[in-house]
Amino acid sequence: MYSIMPNPDIPKSLESLLNSSLLWRGGEHQLAASSTQNSHLPGLCSGYPALDACLPWGGWPASALVEIITPLWGAGELQLVLPLLRNLSQQGKWILWISPPCLPYAPALTQAGIAAGQIIVVSPNRATPVQALWSMEKALQNEACALVLAWPDKLSGKHIRRLQLAASTGRTLGILFHHHHVRHSSAVLQLRVDSDEEGLQVTVLKARGSYRRDSIRLARSTP
Amino acid sequence: MSGRLYQLPLLPRTLHVVRPVVPKSPTGKRQTDGRRTPLWYAVCLPQLMTTDALACTARQAAIAELLGSLSANVSIEPPDSFVFEVRSTLNYFGGIQRIRNRLQEQLLPLLQSWGLPGDIQQAASPTPAASLLLAQAGCNVLIHRPENLRSALGRLPVQLLPQPARKSRQLHNSGLRRLRDLWRLPQHGLRQRFGADFVGQLDRCLGKVASPIKPYQSPPLFRSSLEFEYAVENTQLLLHGAEELLARLCGFLRRRELAATYVSLTLEHEHRQGTALDIELRQPTRAEEHLRLLVQTHLDTLVLPAPVLGIQIEVRHFEPFQASVHSLSGIDQAHLPSRHLITPLLERLQARLGNAAVCSLLCRNEHRPEQAGQGLVYGSTVGAASSITAAATTNRRPCWLLPEPLALRQEQGRLYYRSSLRLLSGPERIETGWWSGQEIRRDYYVAGNRQGMQLWIFHERCEEHGRERNWFLHGIFD
Repeated sequence: MYSIMPNPDIPKSLESLLNSSLLWRGGEHQLAASSTQNSHLPGLCSGYPALDACLPWGGWPASALVEIITPLWGAGELQLVLPLLRNLSQQGKWILWISPPCLPYAPALTQAGIAAGQIIVVSPNRATPVQALWSMEKALQNEACALVLAWPDKLSGKHIRRLQLAASTGRTLGILFHHHHVRHSSAVLQLRVDSDEEGLQVTVLKARGSYRRDSIRLARSTP
Repeated sequence: MSGRLYQLPLLPRTLHVVRPVVPKSPTGKRQTDGRRTPLWYAVCLPQLMTTDALACTARQAAIAELLGSLSANVSIEPPDSFVFEVRSTLNYFGGIQRIRNRLQEQLLPLLQSWGLPGDIQQAASPTPAASLLLAQAGCNVLIHRPENLRSALGRLPVQLLPQPARKSRQLHNSGLRRLRDLWRLPQHGLRQRFGADFVGQLDRCLGKVASPIKPYQSPPLFRSSLEFEYAVENTQLLLHGAEELLARLCGFLRRRELAATYVSLTLEHEHRQGTALDIELRQPTRAEEHLRLLVQTHLDTLVLPAPVLGIQIEVRHFEPFQASVHSLSGIDQAHLPSRHLITPLLERLQARLGNAAVCSLLCRNEHRPEQAGQGLVYGSTVGAASSITAAATTNRRPCWLLPEPLALRQEQGRLYYRSSLRLLSGPERIETGWWSGQEIRRDYYVAGNRQGMQLWIFHERCEEHGRERNWFLHGIFD
C-alpha cells in the first residue's frame, strides 16, 4: 500500500491525505453534504435537494456512468434530469441523446429553460444494437460532450464496464435509461424510479462510496 | 513619331480617328519617364450573361483560364468583362495583331461550344479601367499612349461608368452626357457635386491614379495516388495507405494555408470500377488525426467488392484555414461556443450511422404541435439560421411527442392507456392551419394513469356526419 503512495517529498498534511483518491472513507456522503469543497469527486447539482442529500457526491457524479432503471418509459424519469439539462445547456455544454424512444420535443425543452440548440439527437438503426453501443462509447470518450443520455436496447455487465471506462476517460457524465436490473453492473450509481399517481419513488440501489440505501419521494410537476 | 492611335486590327468596324497629341520637351524630343507604358487588353462578352449564376461563374472561370495562356495577369471584371496585361507578352507573341488572332482562335470555338454568338468586343489602352470602358462601349480601339486617353474616352456616354442609378440620373439632369463634358469641368467642383469616388473613377481611367486589379487564380486541386505492390484485401492495410495520402494532403494544406471541406478517396480494383469513399466535412479541417479517424470509420463499415490495387485521393473543395483563437488568460474560453469541439465527434457518428441519424432540434414559433418541434439533420443548411425560436405558447408541452397520434381505446366508457385515464387539466383548443391543407381542430387535455404517466391527449373536433369523434394520444410528458 505504502509503496504506491505518490511522491513522498510532498509534506503530508491531514487535508492532503483526506483528499487522496487512494483513501476510501465510509462516511463520505455526509462529508459531501456538509462541505462544498469535496474536490476529488465533485458532483453536479441535481436540482432536487432531497436527492442531492442522499448521493455521496452531493449531486450527480461527474465523469461517471449512472443507470436509471424504470419499469416503463415516460413515467417521470426524465423529470429527474431536466434541472441538470438546464444547467449544462445554459453553460453552452453539449448534450447527446442516443437512441431515445422518440424524438424529444423542442418546445417543451425550451419551456423547461433548456437551450435546445445544445442538444444533439443520435438515432442509430434499432435493428443493430451494436451501433448504439458504439455511439455511446465514442460520445462518452469525447471531452467536448458534457452529458450523454442513452436508451440502450441491450445491455450487459460487460457493456456497462466499457461505458463506465469511456465516461471516466472522457470526463463525461453518462446516464443510461433501461428497464432491467443488470447483475454485476459497474456503474457508479444505480437508481430505480417507480412512479404512481402521486409522485416518483427514487431508490438508490447502488452508490459507489456509500452503504446507504436511501429512498426518497419526489412530487410530480403538476400540469 | 507622334502618339499613335490605331484601330485595333480587330473586327471591321468604324475607325475613330483622334487627332494625335504630341507632347514635346523643350529639346524637341519625346518625353519618356524611363518606364514602359503598360498596356491592358480588355474583352467584353455580353452574351455570357445568363440567368444561371452558377453557369455564368463556370464560364467566366473557363475564359479566364484560356486568357491565362496570353498573359500572366488576368482579371475577371463581373459581370461579362475580362482584362489582362499584354505589354510584358507583346514581344513574345510578336505584336498586338498576333495576340488578337490567338485570342480569336481560342475564344470562338469555346463560345460556339456553349452555343453563344461569336461577337467579341475588345480594346487595349494603358489603363485597365479605360480598356474596360472602351470594350464595353464596343469601340475596338488600340491606344498606346496615356495622353490620348482623354480624347478617346471623350465620346463615350457617362452612363457607361459603373455607378448607382441615382448618380447617373443626377449626371443626366446636369446636362452631362459624354465623358468629354466632364473633362471640361473643374476637378474641385466635380468632387463637391459627385463625390470623391466618382472623381477617383475618372482618374483611374486616365491613369492619374493607379488602378489595382485582382488577378484571377485558378482554384486549387489536390490529387495524389498510391499503388500497392500486391492486391490488398485487408482494410487495416488500406488504412496505412490512406494515412500516407492524408499526410501528403495535410502537407499541401499547411503550405497553402487551406482547409479541406470535401475529400474523395477512390479504391482502385482490377477490371472493375473503383469504390468511392466520399468524406464530407461539416467544418473545414486540416487535422490529420481527425481525417484518419473518419477514413477509419468509413473503412470499418466497408465491404470490399474486390482486392484493392491502389488508392487515389482527390480534393477540390477548400476554404481558407482559420486557426482557433484562444484567449491568453484562458478565462473566456469556457464561454466560447464550443461548436468546433463537438463537430469531429458528430462527423464520425454520421460517417458510421449515416447523415440522417444525427439531428439537432428545431423549435418553431408555431401553434400546430407537429410543426412546432422537429428534428433537423445535423449539417443541413435548410432553416439552420433560425432553428431555435421562442415557443408559441406558454401552455405546458410534453417532452416526448409521438411521431403519429395514437388512437386511444375506451374501456367501460373510460379512456384507457395501460390503465384507465383521469383528466388532470384542459381543454386547450388548437384550431389552426386551415390555409395549409393540414387543418387541425383539436381539444387537448393532460391525463394521468395509474402507472404515474402524464399524457397529452386530444379529442377531435371535426363533426363530419357519420363519423365518431375520436380520442388520440399525442405526447408523454416526462
